[in-house]
Amino acid sequence: MSVLAYGVVVWLFLIGVYGVVTSKNLIHLVVCLSVAQSATDILLLEIGYRSGGHAPVFVDLPAHPGPAVDAVTQALALTDVVVGAAVTALLLALVVQVHKRAGTLDPNQLRATRD
Amino acid sequence: MNQFSSSAVIPASVVVPLVGAALMAGFSGLLPRWARDLIAIAIAVATVVLTLILTSASAGRPMIYWFSGWRPAGGMVIGIDYAVGPLGAGMASLAGLLVTAALVYSCRYFDSARGRYHALVLIFLAGSVDFCLTGDLFNVFVAFELVAVTAFGLTGYNAGHPAPLQGAINFAVTNSLGGMTVLMGVGLLYARTGSLNLAQVGQALAGRHPDGLVVVAFALLAGGFLIKAAVVPFHFWLPDAYGSAPIPVCVLFAGVLSELGLFGLIRVWDTVFSGAAGEPGPRMRAVLLGLGIATALVGAVMALAQTQLKRMLAFVTMSHLGIYLIGVGLLSPLGLAGASLLVIGDALAKSALFLGVGIVQRQRATVSELKLRGRGRGLAVAGVTIALGALALADLPPFASAGGHALLATAADQAGVSWLEVVIAATVGLSSGAVLRAAGRIWLGWGAAEASSPDVGTADDAGDEAEDRPDITEDGQGIAGPSERPGRVPLTMALPPLALLAIGLGLGLAPGLEAHVATAAAAFTDRSAYAATVLGTGRGAVADTAGVVDSASHAVTVSGLLTDLGQVAAALCVAVVGLDRRAVRLRRALAGGTGWLRRLHSGLVGDQVTWLVAGLALLAALGGAALR
Amino acid sequence: MSSRARLVFFAVAAAALAAALGVGLAGLPSFGSQVSAYARMLNELAPAQRHVTDVVAAISFDYRGIDTLFEEFILLSAVAGISVLLRPLSDETRRLPEDKAPDRRIPPPSPAVWLLAVFLSSLLLLTGIETVTHGQLTPGGGFQGGVVLASGLYVVYLGTNYTTVERFQPNALLEASDGLGASGYAFIGLLGLLAGVSYLSNVVNLGITGDAVSSGTIQLLNVVVGVEVAGGFAILASEFLDQTAVVRTRQR
Repeated sequence: MSVLAYGVVVWLFLIGVYGVVTSKNLIHLVVCLSVAQSATDILLLEIGYRSGGHAPVFVDLPAHPGPAVDAVTQALALTDVVVGAAVTALLLALVVQVHKRAGTLDPNQLRATRD
Repeated sequence: MNQFSSSAVIPASVVVPLVGAALMAGFSGLLPRWARDLIAIAIAVATVVLTLILTSASAGRPMIYWFSGWRPAGGMVIGIDYAVGPLGAGMASLAGLLVTAALVYSCRYFDSARGRYHALVLIFLAGSVDFCLTGDLFNVFVAFELVAVTAFGLTGYNAGHPAPLQGAINFAVTNSLGGMTVLMGVGLLYARTGSLNLAQVGQALAGRHPDGLVVVAFALLAGGFLIKAAVVPFHFWLPDAYGSAPIPVCVLFAGVLSELGLFGLIRVWDTVFSGAAGEPGPRMRAVLLGLGIATALVGAVMALAQTQLKRMLAFVTMSHLGIYLIGVGLLSPLGLAGASLLVIGDALAKSALFLGVGIVQRQRATVSELKLRGRGRGLAVAGVTIALGALALADLPPFASAGGHALLATAADQAGVSWLEVVIAATVGLSSGAVLRAAGRIWLGWGAAEASSPDVGTADDAGDEAEDRPDITEDGQGIAGPSERPGRVPLTMALPPLALLAIGLGLGLAPGLEAHVATAAAAFTDRSAYAATVLGTGRGAVADTAGVVDSASHAVTVSGLLTDLGQVAAALCVAVVGLDRRAVRLRRALAGGTGWLRRLHSGLVGDQVTWLVAGLALLAALGGAALR
Repeated sequence: MSSRARLVFFAVAAAALAAALGVGLAGLPSFGSQVSAYARMLNELAPAQRHVTDVVAAISFDYRGIDTLFEEFILLSAVAGISVLLRPLSDETRRLPEDKAPDRRIPPPSPAVWLLAVFLSSLLLLTGIETVTHGQLTPGGGFQGGVVLASGLYVVYLGTNYTTVERFQPNALLEASDGLGASGYAFIGLLGLLAGVSYLSNVVNLGITGDAVSSGTIQLLNVVVGVEVAGGFAILASEFLDQTAVVRTRQR
């Protein structure tokens, strides 16, 4: 179970980065970056998971509630989601302007900064 | 416990710029332009004052401030702390000083700027202060991302040209991947140690032999910070971003942003990983020194090949970052002290360089070295700042960088790697030489009229398109298109670079500066003392300060001064060789020999991310070899 | 690099990185087996200490409140950065969308769509307010509720047209709420300093656990964050919308 759980993290991160590396469309590239980002969120949440545990919300609990999962990693993952959203939005704004000014959405056609 | 600080200055140093930025962003339309500039500058100055107070107040012992009232209980840390030490607070003050200079300069550099620009710059400052003062691992990540997000927006400011946009995209993609790796490293450490506090994590890892998880956590954390610090092979985004961001923003980047990456690296190493069993120090030193040398050399060689001034300065910045990594990578208090003093002195000089180039850009509407040949007349201020800045970067005594260089040399001697001196001298000579060559061509009119043959210095001038126009106005009422400004250079643009150089000179002349920096560095590198102070388990006396201070006080020697002058002479020689007609064949051969390196810098984000992945894998392997 | 060289290089590097990550993650405790002592302690103590039932909110806004302050400013920076990046440049102008045919004006939205929009946006507004103000009781809070509030504003655009949206959400108001929300968080933190304790301490009356108004500054901070996030996302949408609908190259 651990192998599958943590293997997903490695797979998602690398497939997202693969998408970034081979992308031919900037919007696709930004979304692939989000995929890689979600790998880190999943890692945090999995670290905090407890088998048979319930959410760290102590209301309307059954008679024998059992342990609660880690609330700290959930707070960290929340922060990461916000950060990811902010970066994605910024990148998309850049993509909009690139399309207007460079006339292309293909990252491999951008030749404005090179040696 | 009364050993923790309750000084309100500590939270104020981040709250003041944050509140100022938020109010600027929300209500910028209500104020006239001059009011916005003035308020932003006032807030930046206030932050400088606050952080300077912290620098001097924490000189004896670090000040630990617990937010939200949650102090450690039973040896377990509950809340987030700021662990204020003179090194961190000093770095924060430097950030504030550079932000102030950039804001003053921006008054006339941008034809118009709504409050959003000022807000972004002030938030950048707040994030930098947080990064330098915090003692919590996740807070380090949040500050890392905050500084990055503001930087992405500021890089793309000239959104009307493809180069800044491409630079911003490359910057954003590589650095957010860096943020992701930092977060993964934080997660791994949390899973192992159950804490997010630097001191507590360090205590939990101390004395234990690092296993695969700890090694990979280190590689991920270090990888993220090295991406930000633009160390080879994570550096490809830097010339794209720094070469096309607006000039005042380049000042922030070159002086603060990249150095924060190295600060993060050494901070995490000194508080978390340095206590691991198995004496990882010497082997890690080899890894970091190797990376530093590679960065310094690549930056210097590439700088020489540039003819677009901003891109050249970007590579000069990168080359000096390699030198700081060499200092930091010696993993000794004296090496850290040398790197810190170099960071301060060089930041002042580099900023002066960028601001000087900005004056040229504004008055001559181009930053191409070739197109500017001989057109420097009437821009004496810019010429003086560029020449002096380049010489200060070459460690011309008595600028502050010379003192830093002396400390670094002493540290290298003590570590038995005196040959590093040669490497440093070579790279500094090459990078400063490139700048002096440009200055010679622009102000003295030397060099060939047309670079008609492939030459070191005739790389495709892709930057022209982006830089040949003045910064575009915001309300759509300005002029687009290249235009010179034959008038006088405004005072708010001429004063900041001269002031920065003067401060660099003043610091260099200040007696005992080296000793102060060395004391600060000694406190910074002592892990167990830091942990004791933060966790409240003791007063945490710092070991062996006396030896370090003694070495520092005697660091400046006659032979050191001669080496510095030798570096300056080397830079001048490189400049002359770069311009002299008779050296054409030599330049052509060098261009041919380094063509492969220049072609690697393709500006394509796919390439850069591939190098990033390779670099992370390499770090994991090297880190494993060093830590196990 | 040629694309083929890049692919080969990447394949090798990714394989090496995958192996390294595998080694690192193998050192993690078995999935689901344990929770850190820090988290266990907070789960036990937070409801009693802070009168909350949602421990995550207590961690975000109290125990680790300074992190959330910076997180909020990350969002503010992103919104400011986007406003800067998408501003009309010197070769562009703002021209409201209008129909090209001279004898026709843009038809108003159909009554069914309009009604649906009114219903949905009211629902989203109420849900958003509820989520924002009750983050200390159940999963939710300022960030989540703020996004719901902002989507209520998006629905207004979907159901009507651009000019209505412009009237409904004047840019100055949105920017002001963004700025006030962000600075509000910092100001609430000052209450702690005024009370003589640390910055961002929870010094407001904590109330009774489970009440609609409880947990002191945690709820206040949630509200302030909700205002900021709603304003920020609304600005975001309007900036992107402007780019497609309104910003046009200046005709010389």
